[in-house]
Amino acid sequence: MRQLRRFFRTPETVAGAAILVLLVAMALAAPLLFPRDPQAIAGPALLPPFQDWSLPLGTDRLGRDVLAELFHGARTSLAVGLAAAAAALLIGAAVGTLAGFAGGVIDEVLMRVTDAFQTVPSFLLALAFVSIVGPSLGVVVAAIALGAWTGPARVARAEVLSICERDYVAGARVIGMHPLEIAFREVLPNALPPVLALSSVIVAAAILTEAALSFLGLGDPNRVTWGDMIAEGRAVLRTAPYLSIFPGIALVLTVLGVYLAGEGVVESTAVRRSLS
Amino acid sequence: MSELISRRGLLAGSALLLASTALPAIGRAQTPKKGGRLIVAADSEPRNLNPAIVASNGVFFISSKVVETLAEASFDGKDGLQPRLALSWEGAADGLSVTFKLRDGVKWHDGKPFSSADVAFSALQIWKPLQNLGRTVFKDLVAVDTPDELTAVFKFAKPTPFQLIRNALPALTSVVPKHVYENGKIEENPANNAPVGTGPFKFAEYKAGQYYRLARNDDYWGKEEPYLDEIIYQVLPDRTSAAAALEAEEIQLAAFSAVPLADLDRISKVPGLKVVTKGYEGLTYQLVVEINHRRKELADLKVRQAIAHAIDKDFVVKTIFLGYAATATGPVPKNDPQFYTAEVPTYAFDVAKANALLDEAGYKRADDGRRFALKLLPAPYFNETKQFGDYLRQALAAIGIDAQIVNNDSAAHIKAVYTDHAFDLAVGPPVFRGDPAISTTILVQSGIPDGVPFSNQGGYKNADLDALIAKASETLDTATRTGLYKEFQKKVAADLPLINVAEWSFISVARDTVGNIANNPRWAVSNWADTYLES
Repeated sequence: MRQLRRFFRTPETVAGAAILVLLVAMALAAPLLFPRDPQAIAGPALLPPFQDWSLPLGTDRLGRDVLAELFHGARTSLAVGLAAAAAALLIGAAVGTLAGFAGGVIDEVLMRVTDAFQTVPSFLLALAFVSIVGPSLGVVVAAIALGAWTGPARVARAEVLSICERDYVAGARVIGMHPLEIAFREVLPNALPPVLALSSVIVAAAILTEAALSFLGLGDPNRVTWGDMIAEGRAVLRTAPYLSIFPGIALVLTVLGVYLAGEGVVESTAVRRSLS
Repeated sequence: MSELISRRGLLAGSALLLASTALPAIGRAQTPKKGGRLIVAADSEPRNLNPAIVASNGVFFISSKVVETLAEASFDGKDGLQPRLALSWEGAADGLSVTFKLRDGVKWHDGKPFSSADVAFSALQIWKPLQNLGRTVFKDLVAVDTPDELTAVFKFAKPTPFQLIRNALPALTSVVPKHVYENGKIEENPANNAPVGTGPFKFAEYKAGQYYRLARNDDYWGKEEPYLDEIIYQVLPDRTSAAAALEAEEIQLAAFSAVPLADLDRISKVPGLKVVTKGYEGLTYQLVVEINHRRKELADLKVRQAIAHAIDKDFVVKTIFLGYAATATGPVPKNDPQFYTAEVPTYAFDVAKANALLDEAGYKRADDGRRFALKLLPAPYFNETKQFGDYLRQALAAIGIDAQIVNNDSAAHIKAVYTDHAFDLAVGPPVFRGDPAISTTILVQSGIPDGVPFSNQGGYKNADLDALIAKASETLDTATRTGLYKEFQKKVAADLPLINVAEWSFISVARDTVGNIANNPRWAVSNWADTYLES
């Protein structure tokens, strides 16, 4: 309870949390408010916003409802952001724990692999991966996770190295627990908090990467994505700028919201730790 | 009246309106001025600039000013042609030879004289064995006799229709110098990247990612021509930047619809700029749904008819092409003056009928409203083909077909469709080049090896159509041959090996100071000898 109060102490985190709640509500409500395929043609093409209240944000070049696309786009963005971050944290935590706990050759090999992934810009990696395998939602998630797991892996390893020296780990060894069991049941859960602190940054980056991939035409073409909406609007930027502006604003707010809320969580937990 | 207009190549009704706004600007162009530098937007950078090998519009756009063909297309010349390197052409009655009389006093850019030997070399060593289109048209060419310096006689092993050779002259007969190409491998000759020709402009320089520069050929055979001192092709790969560059007077001309269609309405109101829809009548692109007949559902004519009925062609023309296109009825575009016939089976937009046809074919809707799923591959070359892919997915959803779009880049798309056949439906933009035998019959003919792009790779086989195509390819009499191609259009529209949706061409936007533009049906890819700049 006190932690929650601490979390809501700064206006930034309140704003971030509010945006996130709104976004999740949008994503959840999309199929209820706009049960039709958001890519279906709903009216005349290039209808400006605020003209027709059945199509409040107007329509795009084919006559698709921009508001419906925005709502359904929120689903894609959040799904990709969360799934990619979860995958990256999972891989990163596993690799980091193994490397830190096992040490020796395994540690060397795993860390050099991590180095290799870190030297390649993660966006380039995602770009190459998607263009080879072919764009679909799962592939995009995998591509983003591929470039994002290295950070969590390094943090997890450092944390594990320090935890390994604690008494309860030695105790677990003495009672004859299997090393893997010690690593993943005793060490990892205690190493997790600092790793999780990275999640907001990873989610925000994943959402941006997904938008950039879609913008370049490498998103899933059978789903609405904000990046794709911006790219499509670009051809008519001079005559219908709203087509790029609305999804652009949505994207900025989302990333901002995720980041602010994430910061808030990190700060409130940090305060708790220092208090305890 | 409307028939007449469509024959003049003005696409769709709204083009009329645009033409009327553009006409005063064209009519004013009277006394050409000499000198000046024309800066043009270029949206791609072809690596091979030899038009004798790569007969494509992207290459012609730059190299047609440097390398000339035997003849060029014309609005009012006999058979729609005007002389270039050849002054006259005559076909023998037996269809086994064509005699060209060549222009006297023509010099290559390196100073050597042009002669019939160059024509013979280009035809036998390049057009027939190496050129993408020449391979079909000149397949029976066995020899080119050169009785004197200015006469070239093409000899064919099998009767070849003179009409086809005539129609092929503007695009397929770029003449390159024998003395430059005779040693070494033709495909690897450095002149492919810095072409040497007889044209009004010499190739001067190319800076990758920046520009191509062409300089005036002072020894050009046209007396006063060319008027311009220089042409610069400014590389602007981003389609949205061409309009801004025109407004800022950084460039003076954007051809091939470099300015997005959606921007034309706005840009036509900018003082000092003109929107010109003429000058592309000989370069009609067709929006086509390619069908993989290996899928059992699509092998059923009723399903293909249903898909044809599900497509609202008027919507496509009005919304995707913003009126700068015409609806299609079959494999020959409406604006073709020689072959087009409107007497073919048509498919009106009728969703109820499409649904009924699918029910009849035995593909009932499942509980979720779907009948079956298809893979749809829209070609990535044009915004319009991609948008049509999005539209088609929705049109098919309305009749219970669940189309999943697969996006690829150009190279991957060509491989997926024409080599791997990894598609059910594809959206393609084939080009009609003035004669169905050049690049249209290949879209439905069977027996084409895997991997030939822009050909029938859908596994379609129709013995009737194959026989008709074979017969037309050896029919010499122009009227009979034309009749056979009308029959061809009927059969294609009836059996739907592919679905023709719309046909479109391009739009130029130029500053008012650019004169003599759009004065032939292939203007953007012609030699621009008479183009000039008012100061």
